[in-house]
Amino acid sequence: MATLELPPRGDVTAPVHQTVNKAGDPVAGAYFIQNAYRDAATPNMVTVILADYRSWDTLGEVVVVFAGGMACYFILRRRES
Amino acid sequence: MTELMENYNGFLVPAISFIQGYYAYLFLLALFTIGLYAMMMKRNLMKKIMGMSFIQSATIMFWIVAAYKEDATVTVYHQPLGLENPDLYLNPLPHTLMLTAIVVAVVTLGLSFALIVAIYRRYQTLDEPLLLERMQ
Repeated sequence: MATLELPPRGDVTAPVHQTVNKAGDPVAGAYFIQNAYRDAATPNMVTVILADYRSWDTLGEVVVVFAGGMACYFILRRRES
Repeated sequence: MTELMENYNGFLVPAISFIQGYYAYLFLLALFTIGLYAMMMKRNLMKKIMGMSFIQSATIMFWIVAAYKEDATVTVYHQPLGLENPDLYLNPLPHTLMLTAIVVAVVTLGLSFALIVAIYRRYQTLDEPLLLERMQ
């Protein structure tokens, strides 16, 4: 079972939770914890990542929602015929 | 006498810790499989969409489980804890990504419901074999 090769739930030694990875580069999760408040002066780290570090991603998300809404409108409208 | 098993790091740990460490993964695997079964085998289009929702929920919760750390608190800066030790906060990145994924999941669900409404208006059925028959 491939599931048993994963780090168990709540393991703080899992690779995603480390400060630096095996190649010596900083890991995103720990970097955001340590620098989010310093960079944006907002206590909520999820807010900082969503609206500051990944704001372009959030803009793309808004475009997806807009496209979905427009598609729903064009599918559901009653055509004149 | 406890049974010992080798974990992913190669250490020997009690076998009970596998249930404690992996029951969430196994539950989500089951949820994903149920969703996949519903999407592939059910005849009703509505039930197929319910299966898609199962798969989305399982994937989202899988990421949230991966973000969990033992004895960590929520991802809001708390003065007494400080910021130097990242083990004191949950991993904020999967939470953020899944917030995006939830929004996209809502859009896909809404769009598929719109398509279903359009199909029902045209063919008066959502049953797949009947639908194929009426499309001839």
